[in-house]
Amino acid sequence: MFTGIDIGGTNTDIAYIDECIIAKKIPNSKGFAAAIREAPSDCRLAISTSQALNHLITGNGSSVRTITIPGPGLVYGGAVKGAVSPRGEIMEPIDTEEIEHLLRGCRADAIAIAGKFSVRNPMPEEIVRDIARQFFDDDRIAISAPLGGLNFPARITTTRINASIKATVVSLIRMIGKNHSDFRFVTSDGGLCGPERAVDNPSLLYHSSPATVALGARYLSGKKDCLVVDIGGTTTDLVPLTDGKPVLAPLFVKGKRTMINAVVADSVPFGGDSCIRDRLMKFRSANARAFGGGEPTLTDALNVLGAEIGDFCRSDCLDRHKAEEAVSEYIDTIAGIIHVMDPAVIVGAGYLAPLLIPDLAKAARTPYLVPDHAQSANAVGAAVSRISMSLHVHADSQRNILTVNGTEYPLSGRMTDDELVKYATDILINMARKEGAPSGDLHDIVTSEFSAFTVVRGGRAQGRITDFVISIAPGISVEAP
Amino acid sequence: MKTGIVFSSSYLHHQQSETHPERVERLSYTMDQFIEEGIFDLPEIVLIPPKKATRSEVLSVHTDKYLSFLEEASVTGGMIDIDTRIPPGLIGDALIAAGGAISGADAVLNQDVRNVFVLCRPPGHHAGPDRGAGFCYLNNAAIAVRHLQRRGMRRIMILDWDAHHGNGTQEIFYRDPSVLFLSVHQYPFYPGSGQIDEIGKDEGAGYSVNMPVHAGSSDQVYSYLLGEIILPLAENFQPDCIVISAGQDNHFTDPLTGLALTARGYAGLMHEMTILADTICFGRLVVILEGGYSVEGGLPYTNLGIIAALAGLDLSSIREPEILHDLLNRSISEMAMPGAIRMAADLKKTLRPYWNCFG
Repeated sequence: MFTGIDIGGTNTDIAYIDECIIAKKIPNSKGFAAAIREAPSDCRLAISTSQALNHLITGNGSSVRTITIPGPGLVYGGAVKGAVSPRGEIMEPIDTEEIEHLLRGCRADAIAIAGKFSVRNPMPEEIVRDIARQFFDDDRIAISAPLGGLNFPARITTTRINASIKATVVSLIRMIGKNHSDFRFVTSDGGLCGPERAVDNPSLLYHSSPATVALGARYLSGKKDCLVVDIGGTTTDLVPLTDGKPVLAPLFVKGKRTMINAVVADSVPFGGDSCIRDRLMKFRSANARAFGGGEPTLTDALNVLGAEIGDFCRSDCLDRHKAEEAVSEYIDTIAGIIHVMDPAVIVGAGYLAPLLIPDLAKAARTPYLVPDHAQSANAVGAAVSRISMSLHVHADSQRNILTVNGTEYPLSGRMTDDELVKYATDILINMARKEGAPSGDLHDIVTSEFSAFTVVRGGRAQGRITDFVISIAPGISVEAP
Repeated sequence: MKTGIVFSSSYLHHQQSETHPERVERLSYTMDQFIEEGIFDLPEIVLIPPKKATRSEVLSVHTDKYLSFLEEASVTGGMIDIDTRIPPGLIGDALIAAGGAISGADAVLNQDVRNVFVLCRPPGHHAGPDRGAGFCYLNNAAIAVRHLQRRGMRRIMILDWDAHHGNGTQEIFYRDPSVLFLSVHQYPFYPGSGQIDEIGKDEGAGYSVNMPVHAGSSDQVYSYLLGEIILPLAENFQPDCIVISAGQDNHFTDPLTGLALTARGYAGLMHEMTILADTICFGRLVVILEGGYSVEGGLPYTNLGIIAALAGLDLSSIREPEILHDLLNRSISEMAMPGAIRMAADLKKTLRPYWNCFG
């Protein structure tokens, strides 16, 4: 059985998929552990933790001390001595006394360690991490090398995110592990990753919701080219799919670029919990009155107009005229955007989709589909997703070193480009298999950003440097029912 | 206002041979450094794609006969000299390099950016009107200057700080008083020209200014010449735009030259040039890459220093790694500074009839 769990802001959705789909909604007030216990221990389990982690990352959160090892170049805060060259050679050693002195008086909750070019040689970061372990638990220390790609400022930002959420992810893994020996997390690109990879790079789990919903909507509707309209509590997310795939792009958090690759979604700050004051507001103050809140929301407006959502009698305090105005404002705003995007068809997802999508489609003059279980598209997407993985490969044949996401592998002799890609493909496949990917999910392997040049010293060719990214794209598992 | 970087992957295409000093590897580590520093995500930076120069743009500088020769030799390959072979397809790469200089100049003139760094290959400053030489085929800087003039700029100042004398550029503008050409270069050295008595001819007399310096010349020498010669002349000439032929082969790690400039020194020079440009020509500065062959130890740090200075970023960490400090100390010649002082005095005397600032 394929089981998907999506921890939302208010509820946790669970979807069981076998010959049929069973979806459940469990209020978060009952505790996340209750939802985990619901899932049978022998199922294939995938969990989307997006909302819980989003809150941690965008809130004030824990205080993180950043230690950067920038070497020569631009100026970065928290700099300590040490430098790595673009080729990964140590140009200046770490001053261990400086690090010890710095950490001895440090009162931060977590430590983020990021070195320039650490993805070409992680050693300076590892030396600082080993010293930090004398002062902090390992689940409060994050380094940047496992993030894989070049972009030091983005790695600093992402490593800070990782340091702030690593302890939460580790305790989540322990808690899930009590009931399930084998499970995976949904990542920001809509794929899955194993717990070990999540600990190395917890940011992989951030902002997975739009990707998960898009994948679920695609599975439930069978539509490959469409616009998924996910009506959530605080936002309505519009995710275009082409040939079944969403567009991925680097994610910005608080205005700063990260190394997180996430689904591109047009997010409009209107959702079921958007409160109604003089008009429909672009923020959430609490739950809808129908779900125990104090102020009327878009959900309550729908109840006033005839829906029977939650404790719908509590919605009656809202004036009918105001309810109509609020729903109209929602429809006009979203339909205007959809009309410009001009999709072949819109696929609705989210709890309010059956109630709002028909009117939205009519106003946007676009065909629509609201598949069965659209309310649980997020959990369905988690359940049917497959392992995805992206490796940044840097081969330096003069130094006989291959670095893959900051980890060094042996490189013997001079390989042709094809041999190198094959070598990296084998590493990728082995890593994916270790995380439980079935063979059928390992065919969609893509090589991108390929570049190569010859290293010449003393007028003679001494080696070749090759860079590329090799990935298993996210998608629906071949084993999904 | 922002700083532009003109670059595209087509600048990693040209290659005379795998082991030639002017090879793809020159820009590979620089681009790694730029990407790792997040340069292209900075709000101060705009990436500008290069266009291909047209025939008429090239013919504003080079002869039709020479351009036709390059076009024909590019079909099957050919040779200008032992250092400057013509690989098949060369003309396409050379036109993109020259076109990049034009794209950069346009971005400055259109006020899309305040200043621009054109990271093009192959370089251009040894190419004269009817010949290429010294790894150069089309004179990118000269083509940009003529383009600027076609768009209304009257007086252009070119500062060529490549370690080698910019003989091609000098030849192109030798009789032209609308272009003030200044070159600081190692001497004696390739190409053998660039002595202080080469000052231009006819109406252009006094508009070619050569500052030959000894091997081992350091940041101090360049800073001295900036204050003594370059800034006074620029203020006297009052250009509408400044073009810099930025050769990064003065760096102390460069394998082909013997100078001793540091990345910080380069950044400092460029910082002074941005202040100068702000003072006399509304910040208009078009910087075009020429030589520079220290692919690992020099170019990533010098090119970053230049872009940081152009964009007004904090330069306090633009420096060389510790591992190179001994080499730097060994590269500096104590004879260079006294030599530069004598040369500057002689040069002022030579130029006095032409420039009030030396009167």
